[in-house]
Amino acid sequence: MVERSQEEVWKLTPWLVIVLCLGSFVLMAFDAREINSGQRIIRVWTQTAADFVQSPVTTLSSSFAGYFGSIANLRSAQDENQQLKQRVQELEVELKSGQELTSENERLRGLLGLREESKYKVLPARIIGRDPSVWFESSIINRGSMDGVKLNMPIVNDGGLVGRVTAVGPLTAQIDLITHDKSGVGGIVGEIGGTNALGVVGGTGKRTEVEMRYVPGSVEVQIGQVVHTSGQDGIYPAGLKIGEIVEVRSGSATTPQLIFLRPAARIDSMKEVAVLLYEPPPKGEFDQKIPNALKDVKAK
Amino acid sequence: MNNLKITIALIIAVMLQWTLRNVAEPFAYVDFPLIVVVYAALQRDAIKAIFFGTFAGLAIDALSGGLLGANAFTKTLLAFFVSELARRVYMDNLLLRIPVIAGACLLDDLIYYGLHRLFGQAPSGDVFVTVAYSLIGTTISGTVVYIILDYFLSDQTRSRKSDVFPKRRNSRRRNPIRLGK
Repeated sequence: MVERSQEEVWKLTPWLVIVLCLGSFVLMAFDAREINSGQRIIRVWTQTAADFVQSPVTTLSSSFAGYFGSIANLRSAQDENQQLKQRVQELEVELKSGQELTSENERLRGLLGLREESKYKVLPARIIGRDPSVWFESSIINRGSMDGVKLNMPIVNDGGLVGRVTAVGPLTAQIDLITHDKSGVGGIVGEIGGTNALGVVGGTGKRTEVEMRYVPGSVEVQIGQVVHTSGQDGIYPAGLKIGEIVEVRSGSATTPQLIFLRPAARIDSMKEVAVLLYEPPPKGEFDQKIPNALKDVKAK
Repeated sequence: MNNLKITIALIIAVMLQWTLRNVAEPFAYVDFPLIVVVYAALQRDAIKAIFFGTFAGLAIDALSGGLLGANAFTKTLLAFFVSELARRVYMDNLLLRIPVIAGACLLDDLIYYGLHRLFGQAPSGDVFVTVAYSLIGTTISGTVVYIILDYFLSDQTRSRKSDVFPKRRNSRRRNPIRLGK
């Protein structure tokens, strides 16, 4: 152990700060460049290293929180039990009518010669970490490239669209939520083919609200209508539920409307999600001739 | 021994920062690593505090959606500022440390936000609201953490105090009435 005099320490400290700050600055510059080019190599490997600590700690803290939560929930359990019994009876009636509809559907499909198949493979995942910085909203899931997760794959839960994968490590992946300010999802009001109310859904920074921009003012939009992905952004497949319209600030023939949605997925309280193992179809020849597309291809 | 204790405190702080937001959202407004880095800087060991700042910052950045190195940059800089301040001003009093942690938190947030704007990244949410909540959360938690850390590192505090304020020599006073005799 080298013993330094106080004077030596005072002389050394500013230089040490300059070197470390410069190193951090270079890292930031490198990371900012990687955001634009796609894969963030340094982050992926630091994340993988952190996973060995974070995963068990999160499991422990979640089980503790769950234990105390379950004690707190006991109070309301009796009322809830009564309500659930009533709901079970209602659902039994619904189930019977549902079974009839399913069998009818199967018969009709058989007539049309269609084959029942799932469009995309779904990989269940658990959220093991939230962004430790208050300034960002990303989350970390316990699935990585070893499970087949790739960059930009959509993330969903039972409610609807949650976000997309922004960095993939061998064991974990980082996801950006649709509520993030910089996110953008191609959306359509209502069913595809039913309307031409196309726009871009982006975050507002709030976890309970997203906004849809660029919907022409001449198109009629109503509160309560559902917004789905249009599939035109080249990332998300068409038909995923994004949210429900809660407010419309109508535009005119020349100005677009501003539509506010409540996300279909309960983003603020989710613990489990699913990765859609979906890869967008390759760009057509025309797309690849566009200068920006060429830049993307070179970067990859 | 005390170096080891502060290092363990820093590791725990980083782990809490990684996990507590998963348990409850308001914990996001508490910057545990910053609290420990400032505490280390107040111990007048500048080099240790600076390294603590860099490593704690990198550990937070690794799991954050922000730029890698942004937290490391701000925390390194703050560790330096606080250690320089502690070198010039005696701050072993808890009441004096409260404005220091509040100021450090404010500076940390502003530099972090500024760096992201510089690199064309827009952090989410309202800046003033986020900074205000972060300031309140970190200052309150920092005060509690400093009390706990002082309790565990009390030997060091006591010995340091005795270095700065050596005990007065207890010389027997002579009785002024009997001086003439």
